Amino acid sequence: MTIYRICMVSDFFFPNMGGVEEHIYNLSQCLLLHGHKVVVLTHSYGDRVGVRYMTNGLKVYYLPIKVFYSQCVLPTMICNIPLIRYILIRERIDIIHGHSAFSALAHEAMLIGNLMGQKTVFTDHSLFGFADASAAITNKFIQITLSDCNHCICVSHTGKENTVLRAKVDSRRVSVIPNAVDTYSFTPDPSQRTKNHITVVVVSRLVYRKGVDLTAQIIADLCLKYKEIYFLIAGDGPKRWLLEEVRERSGLQDRVTLLGSLEHSQVRNVLVKGDIFLNTSLTEAYCMAIVEAASCGLKVVSTKVGGIPEVLPKKLIYLTEPNVPALMKGLENAIRDLKKGKVVCPYECNILVRKCYNWENISLRTEIVYQKVAQENTKELAEHLYCYLSSGVWPFLLVVSLTFIILKIYEYLVPRKYIDIAPDYNQKTPNKID
Amino acid sequence: MNKDAEMKQSSWDLQTSPNKPWRKVLYEKQPYPDNYTDEKMFLRDLKKNIDIKEITFLEAVAGASLLLQEFCNVVAFVLIYFYILYEWIDPFVILVSMGISTVLGFIYYRFFLSNSVENRIGSDLRTLITFIVFGRLFSPVFHTLTDTISTDTIYTMTFVMMLVHLIFFDYGVGAAIVSSSLSVSAVVFCSICLASRLSSANNAFILITTAVVMFVLFPVLRTEMNNPNSFKVLFLLLNTYFLYHVSIFATILFLLVVILICIIFPLLYVHYQKYKENIYGPWDEAIVDDADSIICNSNSIFQHSADDLR
Repeated sequence: MTIYRICMVSDFFFPNMGGVEEHIYNLSQCLLLHGHKVVVLTHSYGDRVGVRYMTNGLKVYYLPIKVFYSQCVLPTMICNIPLIRYILIRERIDIIHGHSAFSALAHEAMLIGNLMGQKTVFTDHSLFGFADASAAITNKFIQITLSDCNHCICVSHTGKENTVLRAKVDSRRVSVIPNAVDTYSFTPDPSQRTKNHITVVVVSRLVYRKGVDLTAQIIADLCLKYKEIYFLIAGDGPKRWLLEEVRERSGLQDRVTLLGSLEHSQVRNVLVKGDIFLNTSLTEAYCMAIVEAASCGLKVVSTKVGGIPEVLPKKLIYLTEPNVPALMKGLENAIRDLKKGKVVCPYECNILVRKCYNWENISLRTEIVYQKVAQENTKELAEHLYCYLSSGVWPFLLVVSLTFIILKIYEYLVPRKYIDIAPDYNQKTPNKID
Repeated sequence: MNKDAEMKQSSWDLQTSPNKPWRKVLYEKQPYPDNYTDEKMFLRDLKKNIDIKEITFLEAVAGASLLLQEFCNVVAFVLIYFYILYEWIDPFVILVSMGISTVLGFIYYRFFLSNSVENRIGSDLRTLITFIVFGRLFSPVFHTLTDTISTDTIYTMTFVMMLVHLIFFDYGVGAAIVSSSLSVSAVVFCSICLASRLSSANNAFILITTAVVMFVLFPVLRTEMNNPNSFKVLFLLLNTYFLYHVSIFATILFLLVVILICIIFPLLYVHYQKYKENIYGPWDEAIVDDADSIICNSNSIFQHSADDLR
């Protein structure tokens, strides 16, 4: 098997927390274990600037770029060319793997990588509508980026349909590779559950898109109807006041616990305390949270939006429409089954999820994509320009050309031969260093 | 090498097994490559143009006529200004006719369209007296406020402000851009600008009164009467008649704009409707009630539970 030097680029990486960060980290770890070389490129977080090494020698470049808006750098398209070019040459990168449509840095690095003759892969983690102006603009951006990208990865089939529609890429150039969950750390522990009441767990950022408004209504309704229901809510966000308000008004201080934001490593300890996991997201490409919950052996009640229906088999999940009466009905079904003892054994749940989703499998499937793009022909500038032309944004050709010229100028200013080559080593071949 | 790569690519694409149909799930390992696209299943949930209302030409014209009415209003106001400026008409005639039409409109509005006449008549009178007293008192100030600014600037400003008025005017469509206060302010600004060109403070007061009657009171009455077409026709004819006496060129321009608003724009709108394509699918964000209603609901729940306790 060929070994590649892969560069993961995204604005979102540790210490920031979220699905994308998790995905990049775990995928990188698995690829490292397979003997590939992986470098992560992200912008600086506070005073975290420069190169850091993570577990198993995962090298992370925190580039000194200012954050512009919600952990995203200003999309200047040309300002970071010297820095990114230097790193790409220094690490002798073969494949650039950008993550998340929101990440300006990923788009930028993929453009530079394309022009430097590297192959590009892009993973799209989110779904977009077609209704509002912001969606229209983001969709155009992603269309530009994907028009010259070698391959695109989506996390669910719904996500693929969405990407094919909004970025107008050939559906054969889009693979579906889901996220995975570390089922070895998300293990069930039924002894943590309370015997005399039923605990409903909610773990999500408390923002509108995660359906906090639905959660609030359900807390009020369900606690009134069932005296034995307790809520455990982990997460923080701008909509936290709503839950606090409902708790206050309904006098449920003893039954609704708000834990605030949690470290990802602590999520499992909260999950195992619950019997039912409630997810009220309004839109979701994949939904890591329900897989984590199922892995911990909880009954999952979730809204039927985005890619969620594809994620878990029918016996592990109660799917409902995204409104309060339907969710109530789903929860009541779950409670009734729980009381009757009609439950899948938590450990069996864990093994089921383990079979479906593990990073080993995900990274193998990603490797297939890498192999495929590595075999594709390297394009000339004219071919790149032709690709970008297909997106319909003609002025972008000027940006591409300018980037190309700047790259050429830097070949004189900072010639390739004067750039130090970083030695390739990873934990599989540690002896090669000497 | 090239051919080889292509071969490999196609084999990667077509490595399908016909035994088991493809399912749109992630939790199962399927004997299909990751970039497999099932033609039958792909985009099956895509919906286009759900509950879209096709707008006919007549409906489009009816909508555009609201803009026409306000446009005629603006032209009429500017005409009145010029008639006062060049003293083609006694300003007093304008004041009296404005007064009479306001009184008639007020009587119709209060006695036929709204019921609570007794309660409101006092406050209406107070508003009227306040306007007359302060308007008359400050008209010398208004008259000289923008005196030092050159006439060209005044006219350009008037044009821009009238445009602002037309853009932000409340035509009865709940769009985000609508701002009644901005459109009224623009008109008041205009009338104060124009008032400085007039010969006396008295004329300035008459012009400002005219602006208030035409742009504040008249739209209220019109909306209450469901925008009758008679007003539009009346304004159109009057404007054309008086404009013809002022300048033929302006009349032609005016009529061209009227044709543009009333016929060409609606035609274009109806024509381009067929390109409308709203895409809906499972990726759309679900819509929920906003937080306020939930708070209200939980309020009522709280009351219920309190009742239960009792």
